[in-house]
Amino acid sequence: MHIPDGYLGPITCAFFYLIMLYFWYRGIKALKTLHPKQIPLLGILTAFAFLVMMYNLPVPDGTTAHMVGGTLIAILMDNPWVATIAISIVLFIQAIFFGDGGITTLGANCFNMGVVLPFVGYYIYKFLRNKVGDVVASGIGAYIGIVTAAIVAGFEFGLQPFIQPGYCPYPFTVSVPAMAFAHLTTAGPAAAVVTAIVVWYVKKTRPDLFELTKKSMEVS
Amino acid sequence: MIDFKDPLVKKFLYVIIAMIILCPLGILLVWNYGDAWGEWDVSELAKKVHANIQGMEELSGIWSYAILPDYDIPGWDDPVRASIGYIISAIVGVALCLGAFYGLTKIVYSNRT
Repeated sequence: MHIPDGYLGPITCAFFYLIMLYFWYRGIKALKTLHPKQIPLLGILTAFAFLVMMYNLPVPDGTTAHMVGGTLIAILMDNPWVATIAISIVLFIQAIFFGDGGITTLGANCFNMGVVLPFVGYYIYKFLRNKVGDVVASGIGAYIGIVTAAIVAGFEFGLQPFIQPGYCPYPFTVSVPAMAFAHLTTAGPAAAVVTAIVVWYVKKTRPDLFELTKKSMEVS
Repeated sequence: MIDFKDPLVKKFLYVIIAMIILCPLGILLVWNYGDAWGEWDVSELAKKVHANIQGMEELSGIWSYAILPDYDIPGWDDPVRASIGYIISAIVGVALCLGAFYGLTKIVYSNRT
């Protein structure tokens, strides 16, 4: 889902950088509200997100896809805004040092994987947790989160020819089904299973972390 | 800032070490697969599509300073050396992520009011 340089034109890139200024600003503010106990965990989860993205999985159509970890971070921090910051750090490092995802497209990539993915995943989890339990809700959230982000990325690719031609040549009738397919079949199930296992484990061993966010909400 | 004494953080650290060691799976499982959709090399794409992609070709070369392009040491193309390059990339990437996170929290919490 890392859109490389060249696939999106200057107007599209600038648009997503502008949107991201708002989310980065709110994310930094949210970082300040975290409990001191949550900060080292967020750091290690940032590194975890970098690593899960290295596990490319085979998609039946011959391409590859990977999970992101954004929903997991949003759930464990009980805060999707700080997930935006963690994923943005990862995407920045990937673009600068590994040439994965572009510099011009960094805003769009941060929006897809760092905003759409954790926010959709987190709110699906919030909505379902009292109905199906935390663990199942986290898996479903992670699945829908990554598939939604992939579809949004597909629309960015696919609307580009209509906004400014000369960049991504494929219309959305091609790009959206391709992006959706890879994530429905491969990255989505992986994200669901990994997220559910980690949430199950953290809930079992460290229920205090979930209490932490409840308490800080009562105080504020 | 990153307090490794927290038992959960410690557990995650073990998971991260295991994931670094096993990360070549992330390329070996997909060795004969193409790139992710929409992540093709633009010069390769230019040979295949017959559309105007002039802007794409101009923009695609904007950043060529990656130290480990595609998570590998340039030229390490066979599965064994690419796996080693991938592990090196994982270590460097994890260090950079932790470093960047640490730097950001330093800045954010220094002007905490």
